[in-house]
Amino acid sequence: MAGLSEKPQALGIDQESAEANKNSSSNKKSVHNRLLEKDKEEGGQGGDMSPSAGSSIKRSGSRPQLDVSKAEIQGNVEEKYPTILLPNQSDDLSHLALDIGGSLIKLVYFSRHEDQSTDDKRKRSVKERLGLSNGNRRSFPILGGRLHFVKFETRKINECLDFINSKQLHRGGAESPYADGATDGNAIIKATGGGAYKYTDLFKERLGVSLDKEDEMDCLVAGANFLLKAIRHEAFTHMEGQKEFVQIDPNDLFPYLLVNIGSGVSMIKVDGDGKFERVSGTNVGGGTYWGLGRLLTKCKSFDELLELSQKGDNRTIDMLVGDIYGGLDYSKIGLSASTIASSFGKTISEKKELEDYRPEDISLSLLRMISYNIGQISYLNALRFGLKRIFFGGFFIRGHAYTMDTISFAVQFWSKGEAQAMFLRHEGFLGALGAFMSYEKHGLDDLMVHQLVERFPMGAPYTGGKIHGPPLGDLNEKASDRNSKYLTPISIIVTLSNSDFPTQISWMEKFLRKGTEITAPVPMTPAAGTTGLGGFDVPLSRGSSLRSDASALNVGVLHLVPTLDVFPLLEDPKTYEPNTIDLADPSELEYWFTILSEHLPDLVDKAVASEGRTDDAKRRGDAFARAFSAHLARLMEEPAAYGKLGLANLLEMREECLREFQFVDAYRSIKQRENEASLAVLPDLLMEIDSMDEETRLLTLIEGVLAANIFDWGSRACVDLYHKGTIIEIYRMSRNKMQRPWRVDDFDLFKERMLGTGDKKKPPHKRALLFVDNSGADIVLGMLPLARELLRRGTEVVLVANSLPALNDVTAMELPDIVAEAAKHCDTLRRAAEAGGLLVDAMINSSRSSKGKSSSVPLMVVENGCGSPCIDLRQVSSELAAAAKDADLIILEGMGRALHTNLNARFKCDALKLAMVKNQRLAEKLLKGNIYDCICKYEPAS
Amino acid sequence: MDPRRAETGKNSDQIQSGHVYHLALDIGGSLAKLVYFTKNDEHIVGNEKKKSPLKASGISNSSRNSPVLNGRLNFKKFETSKINDCLEFINSMKLHLGGCQQPESPGSQTITIKATGGGAYKYADLFKEKFGISLDKEDEMDCLVAGANFLLETIHQEAFTYMGNQKQFVWIDKNDLYPYLLVNIGSGVGMIKVEGDGKFERVSGTSIGGGTFWGLGKLLTKCKSFDELLDLSYRGNNRAVDMLVGDIYGGMDYSKIGLSSTTIASSFGRAISENKERDDYKPEDIARSLLRMISNNIGQISYLTALRFGLKRIFFGGFFIRRHPFTMDTLSVAVNFWSKGEAKAMFLQHEGFLGAVGAFMSSDKHGLKELLANQKVERPPSKLSFSLDQTQVPQQDGELNGDESIECSVYGA
Repeated sequence: MAGLSEKPQALGIDQESAEANKNSSSNKKSVHNRLLEKDKEEGGQGGDMSPSAGSSIKRSGSRPQLDVSKAEIQGNVEEKYPTILLPNQSDDLSHLALDIGGSLIKLVYFSRHEDQSTDDKRKRSVKERLGLSNGNRRSFPILGGRLHFVKFETRKINECLDFINSKQLHRGGAESPYADGATDGNAIIKATGGGAYKYTDLFKERLGVSLDKEDEMDCLVAGANFLLKAIRHEAFTHMEGQKEFVQIDPNDLFPYLLVNIGSGVSMIKVDGDGKFERVSGTNVGGGTYWGLGRLLTKCKSFDELLELSQKGDNRTIDMLVGDIYGGLDYSKIGLSASTIASSFGKTISEKKELEDYRPEDISLSLLRMISYNIGQISYLNALRFGLKRIFFGGFFIRGHAYTMDTISFAVQFWSKGEAQAMFLRHEGFLGALGAFMSYEKHGLDDLMVHQLVERFPMGAPYTGGKIHGPPLGDLNEKASDRNSKYLTPISIIVTLSNSDFPTQISWMEKFLRKGTEITAPVPMTPAAGTTGLGGFDVPLSRGSSLRSDASALNVGVLHLVPTLDVFPLLEDPKTYEPNTIDLADPSELEYWFTILSEHLPDLVDKAVASEGRTDDAKRRGDAFARAFSAHLARLMEEPAAYGKLGLANLLEMREECLREFQFVDAYRSIKQRENEASLAVLPDLLMEIDSMDEETRLLTLIEGVLAANIFDWGSRACVDLYHKGTIIEIYRMSRNKMQRPWRVDDFDLFKERMLGTGDKKKPPHKRALLFVDNSGADIVLGMLPLARELLRRGTEVVLVANSLPALNDVTAMELPDIVAEAAKHCDTLRRAAEAGGLLVDAMINSSRSSKGKSSSVPLMVVENGCGSPCIDLRQVSSELAAAAKDADLIILEGMGRALHTNLNARFKCDALKLAMVKNQRLAEKLLKGNIYDCICKYEPAS
Repeated sequence: MDPRRAETGKNSDQIQSGHVYHLALDIGGSLAKLVYFTKNDEHIVGNEKKKSPLKASGISNSSRNSPVLNGRLNFKKFETSKINDCLEFINSMKLHLGGCQQPESPGSQTITIKATGGGAYKYADLFKEKFGISLDKEDEMDCLVAGANFLLETIHQEAFTYMGNQKQFVWIDKNDLYPYLLVNIGSGVGMIKVEGDGKFERVSGTSIGGGTFWGLGKLLTKCKSFDELLDLSYRGNNRAVDMLVGDIYGGMDYSKIGLSSTTIASSFGRAISENKERDDYKPEDIARSLLRMISNNIGQISYLTALRFGLKRIFFGGFFIRRHPFTMDTLSVAVNFWSKGEAKAMFLQHEGFLGAVGAFMSSDKHGLKELLANQKVERPPSKLSFSLDQTQVPQQDGELNGDESIECSVYGA
């Protein structure tokens, strides 16, 4: 508890240092001086309060507990960045770790979450209700934030130093007002790799930080363990150019063989966290490839050599089994004629000199020789130690498709198909990540897969390129110094991609260079109000060069959202797959690609309009369209470019991209207008409903939900409808389509559960979770009346809505206002909303006065933790997870949440899935039906 | 005569004088190896003693009635690219006039020679055309194993270890020979698990073999021959080319993982230097580095393979070794390193000729097998002497250059 009592004081220091940081960043030249001054000032305050980072890390052995109320005291809403909720974070979170290798410097750094919603009263009351206010939940000690991955060439180490300095990473990040006060001139950064020794003095001199060297292999293993446990689909196989992601059960990960191919090759048997042994290796590795390649060809760089191999034919260099046996397979021993009998065995010919062989062929032969050999020795070692999995990493691979293929082939060949080579998406960052993990008390150890969300900086290639979007610093992060050469990691990546980094998007580079000249293969109508779109490029064809594959493994920013949880009502979280549609099918991908492309102009228009059509908004709209189109094109070429791709990811990507271009809520005004229109007719609707008998009422309500679901700006067909008619007209048309039986019609089953048959009445559900979809009629005229019916029957209702805007979906932030407005016309809703703490203004009064009265079951609102039209129930807000505890009915509404995702999801409790299918293809594919068909799928708890 | 007495020596004149009774070929990718038998002048007579064991072994062969011939088993090799030299040589032995005529068809001018190796297919037409010799193809691996088994079982000092310039013969109890791993390093490398006569399986291999050494070596140096390259490697220092553990960890041993600073971390890992071109490296150093890379790798994979199949001995053979001390040394060091001293690499005196000996053995008309079987029964073997000169020292270039022979006896045709 000693740690706890220190906290308020520690907080004070944080603020002071934040001040210092602000000052210092305004005058960069005196940063060090100021820091020194600050040190002197603080020195008098008591040495134990400003310890070096190293000792502060070790200060308390137990993980600090979060005290939410204290955090709130500090979480002043008027503060510019009120995202930091934890008072003690700066002690616990170290922000930067380095892996300085022979050719590359890898950085992993942490930045805090900016978009953590403020802890408003509504939320707090929900938390109280759900018993969350104790602040002792496991997820809290970890601060939400982002892990960034950045690379530099080692020979350009100054760029790396500039970058660190510009972002003040060595001092806890300048974007934070609570910059780490504990770090002073003696700040320590964890580092690994050979360069950690070599550049110690440089770091001291330039940044005033000491590098704390971590053992390379420790870091490698720690990094791999973290990634394999914490990131879904981190590992993949690569056979014949096909990437396939492998989901590994974190509980069934060990033991495995980690093969790190650097200059040489290390093979490490990993038995657990910190439990590993270097069991083997080989001196024939990446250095051999590059060394021999350099001697044999005129290549100037490793990448050039690698690129050459793409065009090679090793038959002129290698002696194949067929060469020896005159074209016949030596099938007796299982060798085919094309098996290499002897690498370079053909170059012994007397008549030919080195110059007579194509460098391409030599490079390929070398690559195959070394890759096969590594694959073989790895397999033999895995076999020897009984290891079921082999993961390959290290700079030799670099996401290079052919290298991965040859290694995979070797493992398959020698194991006779029993073993498979696996690769890691973040392979280049294992060491840096491991060094990051070596900070004590970063809290990342306990992170679960569901708490990490990977995001790709969607605007990156554009903001750093020729297209003049908004200032970079505004796009991604609040860079402290606009004049700095490196504003964001993104710009760095672009800079690097123009040198010779294979991990960057090669076709994207070309795209950037070409700028606006690119002609669009898929014409797009320039959206009104934007500056017009040039269109987008198709990726370079695969055939000519496999180089694009070298960049195939993009590494995004890892968002750590400690408040995410697995939805507890999933029947089997392990087998749960959110996506209904498999985008691995190329025709499917192409279809959605087209859909999203066609929808783009309208979306851009809405986005620009939402910002008042300012020039800035137009420019951003333009840039957004380009960025998103380019990402789509990239995905068409390489669907696995950003990891495993599902429709949910694709749709979420669009929202992310919008947010990155600072379109906070493109549909804000539309949502508002529709909400107002719908709320105006709500009293009449409620009156009509109330005049019905129970059975008719239930049917009418369900019909109402389905009909109102037509108001969907995410559907092309619906957007067309919007352009043709008024809201009321559309709604009327939609209601007319409600003849049963629906395409999927379990209404009778649902009715039986709700109303019973004959005298048999079942008790009402205790709590229902209503996953709502669109704003306007959908929520107001569809879901709210249904919620009201449930409340009337004594069921608690929790409205589950998006945390962040996505299209015209209603958000958790908007719901209380809508409910409050609706409650004006309906006593049931009012009392329930009061009970649920939704009517903030009236709360104090009502909670006093209504105590004696018949208290209603509550109507609550929780956020679902995502900002996408779809929902992946493996990653929902802890609030929702808590609310699900007592729920025995789930209602999923709308295409995104009930069709695109979760149509096949099974739950532990009763589940009702309601949606109108507003897409012809989807209707045909999933339901063998037509557009505007309805789904009412009821699945009682098994 | 003393059956134990063995003679080996330069006998090129003997080829002329002696009577060639039998010949077998192993035509590989780079070298063609010959094994042939020449008869000494004295004939050993004593068929009656022979008869019973042969009958007991159930082998019926007309040759057993023939007199046992005392003679020499000769070994010779040619570069495959100079196959014509080989043909000339065979021709010069006047095989078509000698005792190798098919006994079944006396008078026929067709001569059949047992042959193995890829070239047995490739050059079949050439042999036929030029001299009317038809090649009877024997499976390569059968021959290899038969050759190795024969040599290991029969020859007193066939197997030896080689570490730090110390050659040490290993006496192997022929009853405790199997199973073993036979690593044949030709152009490529075949690894064969041998469990007995005719009982074997190719379990592994690698494409990084002798061909790789010679092929890469030829591209990287100006060497004109494999032997020249080997010679170079003997004089080189791989430190100039290889990245050592010490290079990475600043001269300190990375002892935590059991690597000394002189361990090669990355073969050719130093050749990535921007300032140096190929010509800036000494060809000797390159050759040395190549040899170490390839030997190391073969040693490692062999050890892992032996481990996998629980084989206690690893014999290395094939033309790559050529009894070149440094090659044997690196292979031994590799096996020693990876096995942490638990396994030892072993070599065969006649490593380059396993296939040819096997092919030679595959023809039963000379009755070697029978004689051997006989020899096993009869103690002391009075009719067959088959051993290698114990005092023979590898020649300057450390290899058999084709002028070696083993005194032995076979049945006369």
